[in-house]
Amino acid sequence: MSSVGILEGVRVLTLEQVHALPWGTGFLADLGAQVIRIESLDHLQDRKAGPFPDGKPGDEWWNEGGNLAYFGTRNKQSLCLDVTSSDGKEVFLKLAANSDIVTDNFRPGTMQRFGFDHESLIEVNPRIITLSGTAYGYTGPWRRAGSRARTVDAACGLSYLTGYEGGPSMRASNNYMDHSVGNNVAYALLLALYNRNQTGQGMRIDLTMQETGVSAIGPAILEAQRDISRTRLGCGHLWQSPHNVYPCRDNDRWIVIVVTNDQEWQLLKQAMDNPAWAEESRFASTLGRWEHRHELDEYLGRWTAGQDDQELMQKLQNQGVIAGAVFTAQDLANNVHLDERGFFSEFDNPNAPRVGPRKYAGRPFRDPGIPMAITSAAALGEHNGVVLREVAGLSAAEIEALAASGVIATTPRPEEQSP
Amino acid sequence: MPGILSNVRVLEVSNGPSGSFCAKLLADQGADALKVEPPGWGDQARHEPPFIGGDPHPDRGTTFLAFNTNKRGITLDVEQAAGRDCLLRLAETADVIIECYPPGRLNDLGIGYEKFQEVNSKVILLSITYFGQDGPYADWEGDDLVAQAMGGFLYAVTGSADRPPMGTALQQMEITAARNGVIAIMAALFRRDQTGEGTHIDLSTIEAAVSTPSGLIHPYTFTGRSPHRGGSDRNVMDGMHLPTKDGEVTLTTAGTGGRPMEVWAEFLEEPGLLDAKFASRQSRLENWEDLHNLVAPKLSQWNNLDLMRETMGRGLVVGLVQSPVQVVESPHLAERGFFVELEHSEVGTLKYPSAGFLMDGSNPMQTARAAPRLGEHNAEILGGELGLSTEELGVLRAARVI
Repeated sequence: MSSVGILEGVRVLTLEQVHALPWGTGFLADLGAQVIRIESLDHLQDRKAGPFPDGKPGDEWWNEGGNLAYFGTRNKQSLCLDVTSSDGKEVFLKLAANSDIVTDNFRPGTMQRFGFDHESLIEVNPRIITLSGTAYGYTGPWRRAGSRARTVDAACGLSYLTGYEGGPSMRASNNYMDHSVGNNVAYALLLALYNRNQTGQGMRIDLTMQETGVSAIGPAILEAQRDISRTRLGCGHLWQSPHNVYPCRDNDRWIVIVVTNDQEWQLLKQAMDNPAWAEESRFASTLGRWEHRHELDEYLGRWTAGQDDQELMQKLQNQGVIAGAVFTAQDLANNVHLDERGFFSEFDNPNAPRVGPRKYAGRPFRDPGIPMAITSAAALGEHNGVVLREVAGLSAAEIEALAASGVIATTPRPEEQSP
Repeated sequence: MPGILSNVRVLEVSNGPSGSFCAKLLADQGADALKVEPPGWGDQARHEPPFIGGDPHPDRGTTFLAFNTNKRGITLDVEQAAGRDCLLRLAETADVIIECYPPGRLNDLGIGYEKFQEVNSKVILLSITYFGQDGPYADWEGDDLVAQAMGGFLYAVTGSADRPPMGTALQQMEITAARNGVIAIMAALFRRDQTGEGTHIDLSTIEAAVSTPSGLIHPYTFTGRSPHRGGSDRNVMDGMHLPTKDGEVTLTTAGTGGRPMEVWAEFLEEPGLLDAKFASRQSRLENWEDLHNLVAPKLSQWNNLDLMRETMGRGLVVGLVQSPVQVVESPHLAERGFFVELEHSEVGTLKYPSAGFLMDGSNPMQTARAAPRLGEHNAEILGGELGLSTEELGVLRAARVI
């Protein structure tokens, strides 16, 4: 937990898996909330997801994955509790009675089956905030449908708009929707806490992946109502050119170059030493460049093809032309700009000595009053004792009994397969 | 119902899509957001096609309309001293100021963070730029495509392995920066309530691209390999888009209890899927054309909504590749009350997407107003709230300050 603790005293119980919800609660953990992630020995896929050092899971693989430190149990506590058992349910309700927020990403109906739905929880905690993050929400004809980030990418309209020029639709990403939804989860929870500070009231939040996705394509939603259709243009632009990706020297190296107006076109021409083709009148105006963008891209690509992507980026930017090299993860991890800005989070997970110190992406905002670094990554069940004692009020003997009957655990079952 | 942020005043002097969207997210939850635009021309997005009705018009651009709901709009020329004076007076009562100028630009004009703090010690300033306020690239310029390129998204995420890098549509990196921005602002509001202190937040769109959608850094530092695009190439069961009678669908192997081909063979009534050459993920990739030739004709007999209903009933997970028209007309979203209708004098009534969450069963998005026309609220805010007289407003107008 962060040392400053803007959300110090806020307690979050989270039944979360995979990406979206853990990404969202990670922000609250960074801000100092006590985020208790409840985990199940029956569902260890997040702990199997890696990445592992050199791609190889070790003897304690369940504590080693990089995704755990990046968002899974980042700055959180882990309580490995079987909430499907009657003892586990009882413990969960005791925890919920002493928590501010309960979140889950089960399909609608599951929380009710457990007796953990909002109506049940306000019985034990009238000021509770609950959030369920689902594919399509708790109401509507699609409420029972499951999702992957990719299927929501499709259902929200983003995939339809994405694709190479003249080509078929493509999903924008296998996980952009997860992270985008996670950010929206954090915003919704912070709004609910803000509201509770003002009114004293808790709240029920029904947040969906599909709708978060639709909220990100507002312009196309408006256009669709007035028969304006957006064509797929790859890296191209609706009215600007050059605005594309161009090949550079060496295999699979590329640069993007963007010209938004005539002045920038002049600067690009100068940077190219004013080749004859660039003086052609069809390229003289924004509209002309756009209408002849394929020829323009062809010419420009021939100019970039022999050059080093990063050197060309430096040269163009220094001459006032908008450009960026197409960075690989390796480029980024070694990037001087990001490094000098203190963007990266270097973290050595004491729960995974085999992993050693590794570099992670940081948060994209910097504020001396809001440190958001990775300071811990909870091991499986690491906080069973402290949470059950301090939050649920259980005695040492009661905790021991739960351990003996397998309701709580700190290691996978012996028969569990290594990933 | 007043929004949760109805006691928060936001001053947006951004002139950039990330700042506009960030202020919109706050305005849609009730914040009193004042959008400050340069007189005459306004926000650049006012001039970006497409336009409702077809012809260019500064109040009819779809991006501008979508990114500026629930704001009031004024014009101020901050290049002129009189404009800066008005801005500083507005800053006195602002909780949050959002700006997207190049680093140092506001400082050079004499309206940097220190100046804002002088008039309002508790103000929270969010600066959004592509590269951040410092570092070797701080003075460079960017756009959404540059953020996708330098954020690692372009190389690794969207396109095909054997084709050039390709990215996502509709400025998603700007949106991502904005989504991080509201988290930072909410954190700063909590902190201000505790300490009485304002702050200056430095947000980089490139860094939002690196950290948020793709998770590139630690996969590389753990394995030494850079993720590469092409994850959905040749992947019939878990990635490709396949035609239906009235659109497209993407399948998954989720919800099949580890027996994807048996379950899908039964659902599609295509026993050919049980062939051993489709038994493993790897063998399906190797034989993807054969698999495609079996699956595609079966799917093309389905209507999208029927396919969704039937697969859902069996616990299978698919994604309809919906067009924006299909999204707007979605019975599901209609039943949830997701879209809100806003009336605008230039474009009429349109449905707008809301935030993506219901609170206590209701859509919390405010419906105060559609995007402001250029300078629409000059008299109301500069006259009514700052108390400038009609004569003073006339002087400002004549000098093109407003």
